[in-house]
Amino acid sequence: MKKILINRDFILFSIILIGLIGVGFANPLFVTPKSISDVLTDTSILIILALSQMIVILIRAIDLSVASNLALSGMLISLLSTVHPELPVYYFIALSCLIGTFLGVLNGISIAILKVPFIVTTLGTLSIYRGLIYFVSDGKQVYSNEFSEDFLALIHVKFLSLSFLFWLAVAVFIVIYILLNHTRFGRNLYSLGGNPDAAKYIGINENKYIIMAYSLSGFFAGLCGYLWVARYSVASTQIAIGFELTVISACVVGGISVMGGVGTVLGCVLGALLIGLIRNALPAVDISQFWQLAISGAIILLAIIINTKTEQRKEKTIMVEN
Amino acid sequence: MVVCFQMKLELKNISKNFHGVKALQDVDFQLKENSIHALLGENGAGKSTLVKILCGVYQPDSGSILLNNKQQSISDPSISLSLGISAIHQESVMFDELTVTENVFIGNHLTKSNGLVDWSSMQDKTHQLLKDLEANIEPNEKIKDLSIAQRHIVQISRSLIHDADIVIMDEPTASLSQKEINELYAIIRNLKNQNKSIVFISHKLDEVMEVCDEFTVLRDGELIKSDLISNTNKDQLITYMAGREVNQIFPKNNVTIENEIFEVRKLFKKTQFKNINFNLRKKEILGFYGLVGSGRTEIMKSIFGITKLDEGEILFNDQKISITKPSDAIDQGIVYLSEERQQLGMTGLMSVKDNINMAIMDRNSNFYVMNTLKEIKNASAMQEKLNIKVSYWSQLTQSLSGGNQQKTVIAKWLSTKPKVLILDEPTKGIDVRSKSAVHEFMGELVEEGMSIMMISSELPEILGMCDRVVVMYKGLIRDILDVKKASSEQIVKLASGES
Repeated sequence: MKKILINRDFILFSIILIGLIGVGFANPLFVTPKSISDVLTDTSILIILALSQMIVILIRAIDLSVASNLALSGMLISLLSTVHPELPVYYFIALSCLIGTFLGVLNGISIAILKVPFIVTTLGTLSIYRGLIYFVSDGKQVYSNEFSEDFLALIHVKFLSLSFLFWLAVAVFIVIYILLNHTRFGRNLYSLGGNPDAAKYIGINENKYIIMAYSLSGFFAGLCGYLWVARYSVASTQIAIGFELTVISACVVGGISVMGGVGTVLGCVLGALLIGLIRNALPAVDISQFWQLAISGAIILLAIIINTKTEQRKEKTIMVEN
Repeated sequence: MVVCFQMKLELKNISKNFHGVKALQDVDFQLKENSIHALLGENGAGKSTLVKILCGVYQPDSGSILLNNKQQSISDPSISLSLGISAIHQESVMFDELTVTENVFIGNHLTKSNGLVDWSSMQDKTHQLLKDLEANIEPNEKIKDLSIAQRHIVQISRSLIHDADIVIMDEPTASLSQKEINELYAIIRNLKNQNKSIVFISHKLDEVMEVCDEFTVLRDGELIKSDLISNTNKDQLITYMAGREVNQIFPKNNVTIENEIFEVRKLFKKTQFKNINFNLRKKEILGFYGLVGSGRTEIMKSIFGITKLDEGEILFNDQKISITKPSDAIDQGIVYLSEERQQLGMTGLMSVKDNINMAIMDRNSNFYVMNTLKEIKNASAMQEKLNIKVSYWSQLTQSLSGGNQQKTVIAKWLSTKPKVLILDEPTKGIDVRSKSAVHEFMGELVEEGMSIMMISSELPEILGMCDRVVVMYKGLIRDILDVKKASSEQIVKLASGES
C-alpha cells in the first residue's frame, strides 16, 4: 500500500509534468523560467490554503469559510492601513493572522461545543464573514494608492529570482509537513480522522482537535488575507469569492480523502500545483474563455478519478487462492 | 497451602442506566492480581457496559471503583490508560490507514527532546516487542493489510507499551483459527506470568475452562455468580448464563421436511467464495456456521442480489432463476435479514407503519398512489403477529427498543410473504428473552411452510434450531452435516480449518 501511496504522488507529479510539456509544445513561451516562476507565485496562496484546509479535511471536516475569512481579514487590515499608514508591515501581517485565527476559533467552537455540523457552521460563517466585509467597508474598495508603500513592498521582494510568496509557500509546506508527520498533534489528527471512535478510546479529546484544526485553518486564511490584498493591491468585498472551492478541489485532487485520515502533505501541494497550472495554462494555449471553466473542471474530475482508482480500498480477501 | 491473592481491582455496587433501561444493577466485580478472570454472560448481559466503564467511556450512575485498594474515578479514557487499564477490543479500535508502529504507540507517541515524534526509536521498540511476542509482523505494515489475529497482537503490544497492569480482552479468539488461538493463549499466559491481571470475555466456554482462573457471570445486568473456575463446569456456567437448564433454550418445533425448493450450484465470487453447492427443502432450517469472515454473509448477499456473482446458478422450484438485484429476489419470494439491521434493515426516522410496508409499496398502491388503508391493515396484522410494542402508528422506529426494532424489520420482510427467509445472525446483541422469542417465531414460520437459512456464530443456536448445517471455512464449504448426527466438536473442528 505504501508503494501505491508513493505512486499516487508520483502519478500526480507525472500528470503535472506531462501537462507542462504539452503546454510547452503549444506555446513555448509558457515554459520559460520567468513564466514558470510566475505560475508558482500565482499558485502560492492556493498552496498555503490547501495545506491548511488539509488539516481540517484530515479530521473528516471541511472549512468552507476560508475565502470569506481571507477577505474579511484582508479588508480589516487594509482599512487600518489607510488610517495608520505609518505602522510597519509585520504589524499588519500579525494582525491579519490574529483576526483569521479568531474567526477560525469561532468555527471550531460552533462545531465542537455547540455541535452545529461543520458544513452548516462554515456555510453560515462563509456568508457572515463575507457580509461583515460590506459592513466594515460600507461596500467601498481600498485602492492601491491608499496602501502605504511599506505595505505593498514586501510582496515584491525576490530571492534567487523567486518571489516572496513562493518562498513563503515553501516555508508553510515545511512547517505543515513537520506538524503532520513529526508531532503528536499531527499524528493524532490522522488517528482522529481515521477512526474517531477508536481515537476516543485512546483518550484523544476530539473537541480540542476540532478547535485547533479550525484555528489553524483560520490562521492561514488570515495570513493569506494580507498576501492577497498586498499582491493584487486592492481590497474589496469581492476578493477571493468562491476561492474555497478551488482550495477544496486542490486537496481532493491531491489525494486528501474527504473520508478523513488519509493524505500526504506532498500530495496536497501537488494538487494545488496542478490546479494552478491548469488555471494559468488554459489562457496560454488560446482556449476560448467560454470553455476554460468547463475544461478545468473536467481536468480536475479526471485527476480525481485517476486518484480514486489507485486508492480504491481492497476488498477483504476471504478465500485462500489454491 | 493458603494462597494469598492481592486484590487488584474491585468494583462495588456498580449501576448504569441508559434512558431508563438497566444495563447494570448493583454489580460487584473483583479482579485479583496475577489472574485470568472470565467475564461471562449472554449478549446484552452487561459485559460490554462493564468494560466501557473500566475504560472510562461510560461513567457509572452509582457504585465505586477501587484500584489497588484506592478509590478511583475513571471519567475519561485517558485516565483509564494512565491507571494501567488497557482494553483489547474486538475490531473497531485500530487505525487501518496507519502503520503497526503507529498503532502500537497511538496516543502515546515517543518524542525526542525537541518535542518531535521519535519515529526511529518507536520503530525499534515495536520491532523488539513483536519479536518478543514471536509475531511475524513488520512494524511498517499498515493495519488494513493484517489478519485479525495479527491485529490482536498489535493491540496486545499496545497494552504492553502502555505498561498496563490490567488487560481486558473482548472475545479475542472470536475469529481466529485454532493455531492462532493457541498462540494467543501462550501470549495470555505469558502476560499472566508478568504479574498482569487479565479480564477475558468469551462465548466459548471450552476455552474459558482451559485458560481462566476465575469467572464472573452476568445476566440481564445483574451479577449471578463469581467463583473459581476449578469449582465449576461447563453446564453449570451455561445454566448461570441462561438462567435455565441447557436443553430448554431452543424450543424447536417438530415439522416434517418436504421436497426441495431451492438450490445453488457452483457459486463463485473471486477472492470471496468458491464451489458453493447446497439445497434447501421446504420447512427446513439450514444453518450456516463458520468463523466471522468465513464468507457466509457474502454468499447470502450474492443470493439476494446485493453483490454480483462471478459464476454459478440459482434454482428455485427446479427453475433456474436470475437474480441481479434485490428486487428480483424479493419477487421470487427470497428475503434477507441483514446482520446490521439498524443500518441496512430499517429507516429509524420513518414510522413503524412505513417501515413495515416499505418493501411492498407496489402491492399497497393503486397506480402509484399509496392506499393507506391497505398499509394500516398490513401493519396491524404484523404488529399483532409479532407483538410489536408501539404506542401509535406514526411512532418513529428509532424510538423503539432494540427488540422491537428487530421485530419491525422482520415484519417488513414477512409482509412480502416470502418462501425463503435468510437470517443473518438473527439473535446477535439481543437479550435472552427476545432471543427465545425469535427462536419460537422461527419455529412457527417453518410450520407455516417457510424455509429458513440462518447464519449464526453461536453453536448452541445452530444445534438447537437447525436441521442441517453448512460449515464454512475461508470461503469454502467444508461439509454439510445433519445436526442430529453431528457433534459440536466435529463442527468446530471443521470451521476452524482443521481436518
